[in-house]
Amino acid sequence: MNFELSEEQQLLQDSVARFVADHYSLEARRKLADSTLGYSEDHWKQFAELGWLALPFSEEDGGLGGTIIDAMVVMEQFGKGLILEPYFATVILGGGVLKRLPPSESRTARINAVMEGHMKLALATTELQSRWDLHDVVSTATADGDGFVLNGTKSVVLHGASADGIIVSLRTQGGQFDKDGISLFWVDPKAEGVSLKAYPTVDGLRAAELTLEKVSVPSDALLGPLHGGYEILDAVAQEATLALSAEGLGAMERLYKDTVEYTQNREQFDHPLSDFQTLQHRMVEMFMEYEQCKSLLYRATLEFAQDGMDASKSVSACKHLVGVAGRFIGENAVQLHGGMGVTEELAIGHYFKRLFVIDTQFGNADYHLERYAA
Amino acid sequence: MDIELSKADLEFREEVTAFLDGNAYKPGEDYAAWRLNWFKAAAEKGGWDVPKWPAAFGGPGWTPTQHYIWEQETATRNLPWDLPFGVGMVAPIIMTYGNAEQQARFLPDIRARTVNWCQGYSEPGAGSDLAALKTKAELSEDGTHYVVNGSKIWTTMAHIADWIFCLTRTSSEGKKQEGITFLLFPMKQDGVEVKPIITLGGSHTVNTVHFTDVKVPVENRIGEEGKGWTYAKGLLAHERTGLAGVSRSLVALEKLRRQAGKVKRGNGSLLDDPSFKSKLARLEIDLKALEYTELRSLARAAAGAQPGPESSIMKLKGTEIQQRIALLTTEAAGPFAAPWGGASVGPSFASGGTQSYLGSRAYTIYGGASEVQKDIIAKNVLGLKAKGKAS
Repeated sequence: MNFELSEEQQLLQDSVARFVADHYSLEARRKLADSTLGYSEDHWKQFAELGWLALPFSEEDGGLGGTIIDAMVVMEQFGKGLILEPYFATVILGGGVLKRLPPSESRTARINAVMEGHMKLALATTELQSRWDLHDVVSTATADGDGFVLNGTKSVVLHGASADGIIVSLRTQGGQFDKDGISLFWVDPKAEGVSLKAYPTVDGLRAAELTLEKVSVPSDALLGPLHGGYEILDAVAQEATLALSAEGLGAMERLYKDTVEYTQNREQFDHPLSDFQTLQHRMVEMFMEYEQCKSLLYRATLEFAQDGMDASKSVSACKHLVGVAGRFIGENAVQLHGGMGVTEELAIGHYFKRLFVIDTQFGNADYHLERYAA
Repeated sequence: MDIELSKADLEFREEVTAFLDGNAYKPGEDYAAWRLNWFKAAAEKGGWDVPKWPAAFGGPGWTPTQHYIWEQETATRNLPWDLPFGVGMVAPIIMTYGNAEQQARFLPDIRARTVNWCQGYSEPGAGSDLAALKTKAELSEDGTHYVVNGSKIWTTMAHIADWIFCLTRTSSEGKKQEGITFLLFPMKQDGVEVKPIITLGGSHTVNTVHFTDVKVPVENRIGEEGKGWTYAKGLLAHERTGLAGVSRSLVALEKLRRQAGKVKRGNGSLLDDPSFKSKLARLEIDLKALEYTELRSLARAAAGAQPGPESSIMKLKGTEIQQRIALLTTEAAGPFAAPWGGASVGPSFASGGTQSYLGSRAYTIYGGASEVQKDIIAKNVLGLKAKGKAS
């Protein structure tokens, strides 16, 4: 039994931590979040140079052959810096689909472009009625001659407007809730009939509404087996859930540590706030919740690395606790910072908002509790 | 004990609904004019513009039941905007501790809503520990005015306020609760500088306010020099009662139930989701209890007693419930709780829900943080002594 990072993983962690320390001061982040693009292309180039974009792809694909543990290492550090670049959307979601496809020319070309930093991706699964059920799909792809015609709307597509390619789940047969009959399609955002309405999310990131109106695509726009897209989606969602949990853990660590520090410096009633037992106990609880999340993240990640989809129960357990603990730690960090906690001026509020959004992605705490209990 | 409404109460309810419906805002109407007219019409009903003021100062002298009916009926309607600082906060202090001249000078404008007030209490170094405040007021040698220097923070609506009621330090001797003096002065004058603070929801309601050599005539001092803490404490208890918002929460909860009924979950709606349903039910149970806690508190006030320990319960429970409703609204929005910046995406309540949730985090901080409220209950109600505690 060993919970230490390997030497390579340690190097990876150090390198991401250094990047965060060098480039992600609160002020620098604020500027980026307010820019038109919402992140930095220069940072993206560095991600490519540092090999982070090649991490999850196999060595046969020219990647680094990293595992879900490496993804966890990167995402946890990203969580500490509240990184704005579309790493999750491109590498974990889009890359997660690409790497699971059978070999083809376009697959190779796209993976190469992602690794080199020339292509960004998005994954469009959410619909107005679906909440987090990936199998609840009413948008359609209909066979038409040699190709397909796509129709429908997808919501809250993370980084949809900056993506060069959007992978969309569409119904090709069956009823609204059938897992069988969902297929994945490659959609060029510039194609006729595709429209994107971009907006920021409350954590300073970007998302978009995607509308497909009689979009004609060739047959090779179909990714993976016809009607068999759900299995791929489900696997990608497990990895995504773990990645988001790791990011959340990084944010939680910053929140509880910042709070411990702040209460030692802020004096009220002629004492540092940290002298008051009720606040000490609260911070102990924050710390305990953080440690419990870390344990479940390790557990779910290691089980997933070993057993794949059989680990889905642990993955749900992890995301549930990240939702609950993230809320507890976030709200209490704000509370213990008093008025300062509810301003945009301190980092606290920004971590709190990121954790809020993480709970809205790939299933909130209740959703995963229900999945766990099922 | 009984809860049945008397015939007179039922008639009162009809009178209230007739008034509220008859004076409702009509689309296209000049809002500012409607607002002032509304208060005028309410005044003509016999103090309905200042329901909580004592009859001696023009209030309606309602029974607790009448107050309760008023709150219920107004919670479901759009009343003209009204800041709590004038009618609800500074006016009771002027009535209780101000002199006749001050009452004649300030109360009419407060009542007519023609002058906006803000509250100068918290300071960068004095939050929960309010008595640690340092803003200095020095009496001039000729004794005609004070000169005020210092800073206030979290001053709500300072940027639109005409006047401020302000706690200042006139002496550093003795206990820190002594030597605090309660002053009133205009905001729009040289030496008063207001800077916005942007809060989590991205909005501007609170400010920092800096005073540089602001001259305040002694006739603007309420009560005695050095007794301001006593005056303010009474007001804080008053403020805390007002923050419970039970009727508004009941309305908000009903609204949330309707909204959740329209959110699809599989073949049904979110209301078929067991965990959502039980959260909604639990909120309702807590509110039912709090509604009666408030009624008990109102009955006590009607019997002429000061707001008692239950006012601390009201703020703690009331704000916690408001936060939980806001949170549950974001959970109802699901993935659509994330979009921001005026994006109208998903269910219509989604973006407002997120805004409310972020804003609601301040409810357990301002007007006496929850931790301070619990200290007060521990000390005043349970009779416990705190270790290493100055309050």
